[in-house]
Order: sequence, then C-alpha cells, then structure tokens
Amino acid sequence: MKTESRTRTAMVFPGMGPSSFADVGKFMLINPHARKLVAVADDVLGYSLVDKFRDTEGDYSEYAQVAFLVNCLALAEWAEKTLDVVSEIVAGPSFGEKAATAYSGSLPVEDVILLTAQLARYLDDYFAVEHTDIVTHSFVRVGEERLADIKGELTDLDEWHEISCYVDDDFYMLTLREHNLEWLKKRLRAIGGLSLYTMRPPMHCGIFEPLRTKVAEELFTNLEFADPRIPVVKDQDGSEITTGAGVREMLLDGFVRPTRWTDIVATLKARGIERVCVAGADSLFSRVGLTRKNFDVLAVNPRMAMQPRRRAAVA
Amino acid sequence: MWDQQFEELLRQYLPFLPADEQLTEGTPLRDFGLDSLGMVELLAALEGTYDVRFTDDALSIETFESPGVLWKQLADLIPSAV
Repeated sequence: MKTESRTRTAMVFPGMGPSSFADVGKFMLINPHARKLVAVADDVLGYSLVDKFRDTEGDYSEYAQVAFLVNCLALAEWAEKTLDVVSEIVAGPSFGEKAATAYSGSLPVEDVILLTAQLARYLDDYFAVEHTDIVTHSFVRVGEERLADIKGELTDLDEWHEISCYVDDDFYMLTLREHNLEWLKKRLRAIGGLSLYTMRPPMHCGIFEPLRTKVAEELFTNLEFADPRIPVVKDQDGSEITTGAGVREMLLDGFVRPTRWTDIVATLKARGIERVCVAGADSLFSRVGLTRKNFDVLAVNPRMAMQPRRRAAVA
Repeated sequence: MWDQQFEELLRQYLPFLPADEQLTEGTPLRDFGLDSLGMVELLAALEGTYDVRFTDDALSIETFESPGVLWKQLADLIPSAV
C-alpha cells in the first residue's frame, strides 16, 4: 500500500453522464462516506436527496446532479481511506469542476451542494426560453483537420456553431442549431466519424454570456472562495489554479468557454503525474485513449466501492 | 452466422454477458454492457481485425444494436464472409 501512495496521482472528477438510481442508489444508502455526504445534502437542501433522486425521472434533474456530485466526493474519500490514494492536484472537466471545488477546499461542501442545486434550476429556467434550438453533439474518429473542414462548411452556410468540448484528438463535442444536426451526422458518417449522443441543454458556449452574468450576480456574490489546498487544473485551458479567485473564475467560465480535457492531460503529464484516480460514475474521461495512453487509470465507481474487500490485518 | 473471431471479440465488450450464455443474433448489446465508448473501441477492434473501414450508413449507433445487425454490416465490407 505504501508503494501506491508514492505514485504521483491526480484526483479527477468526471463530467456528468447518466447515472440512474438503480446503478448508484445502493452505494448512497450503504457506503459510509456517501451516507455522511447525503446527510449533509439533506440538511442543506431541506429534502431527502435519496427519495427525490429515486422518485424523479430524468438523467439530469436537480436531484440527479446533486447525487452525482455527492457520489463523486464520497468515492474520492473512499479511495483515499481504502486504497491509500494521495493526490497532489485535482481536475474536474465540465460538471466535475464542482466536485473539484469542494475537494480542493475552495468552497465548503455545503456551499457546493447548494450551488449545484441552484445551478441546475438556473440552467432549466434559462434554456427553457433561451437558445431552444441549440444542441451539443458528440462524435469520435474525426481529426482536427476534418473538423476544421466541417466548421468551415457551417461558416460558409452562415450557420452558428462552437466547439464545446475537446475530449481527445479525434473526439469532440460541437454545439450547433438543431436544424443542422442531421446534416452534421451525415457529414460525419461520410468521413468515417461516429456520432455518439446529442445533449440538451447545451453547454460551454460564448453565447451563454447572459447566463454567466446572471449566475455571477445572483449566486456567486455571497460565496467566499478560499485558496485551494492543492492546485486545481483549470478546465478551460489546463492552467494550474492556486487562488480562490481562480477557482471562482473557472466555475463561471465553464458556462462560456469549452472544456479542454486535452489541455488538462497535457498539464498533468508535464507535472509528472503518473496516475489519475477518476472518482465518479464515469464512462468517458477515464476511458478515452488520451487518458489511457498517458496515465495509469484508477477508475473508482460505486460498483467498485460496493464490492466486498478483505479487511486489513490489525497489528 | 458469424465466425469465431467475431464472437470472441464481441464478448470482450459485453461485461454483463455470462461466459456460458449464448450470443444470439438478437442479443441486445447495450443491455449486456456495450456503452458508447465500448462501441468506439469495438469498432476500432473490428476494423483492425478484419482490415476494413466502416463508413456512411454502417457508422451509426443502430449498427451496434445486436450481433446480427453488426455482423451483417461487417460482412458487407468483407465479401469472403458472406
């Protein structure tokens, strides 16, 4: 176990993907780290997180989002206590920014839980009336040059679009108007690309500046961001954040600037990180080639944490 | 029917399929653990193994619905398999 702790490790909190109650509910009810955080969430939010999560449909409801956050943080704690993981830096692409903020101590976990619930409501309200024709589409097997061609064609057609996420050198998320989606899928297929999924609400685009401003004015004014206890890798450019103001800026920039996992990986690699501990029900960042090529990957998920483990012998 | 190589390769991407359970033409691959990234990896493995390149209509999520559909798309790319 001591060898494990010497491995230079980054804690990574994944972006959010579908994570049903059937998949993670037992973990939330049984795992002691999860139970502790669920109790905190119940206090902060004034409702039973488990009950709401279980009874509400939708992969991205307010309750699903808070549950995802809580589970990520609980899994990080579990990995530290059970697997002797010691991390020197933390990153959190997209939704993972929130867990990284709490894990780094920049905001108390209570504040991050409340903020997550509030942001879920703000997003619902904003996208119910704004940009109702915009979606974010993810795809693989399309290199930078081919993507530039597609973007050029959209520009020639005078169709607005922005890249929302750089996942790997052939894996992107592109945000565009929904009436261009079928065209995009056809173009991708023609060049050997594989479309994966289409998301709404969209995220990480410059045109969402009004949402950033509203959130900054109405939700962030009373939050006091402390300097993080370990550096946080900035989601938008891979720089290392060491101040509370920097963490605040990262969270707000997440609305209007793309997630660059590629830059995060480059920063971790340059720092000498050998292993990433990906804490959460992840099906993307821990598995893409870029991550696997550069690091040992310790993917810590509810399924793993629920497996019986042999108790260590007491000396 | 598909060849042994296809069967062995496909099974690697179905973590919830017991080793003794038969793979049928209609086995729902998603239910047995083939998720989006699994599809990407399986696609690359099939292309490498059979020296083919999926394009156009073969490149859709529906291609990965079941072993039968996937094998049909693959077989169209390797005439000797038909």
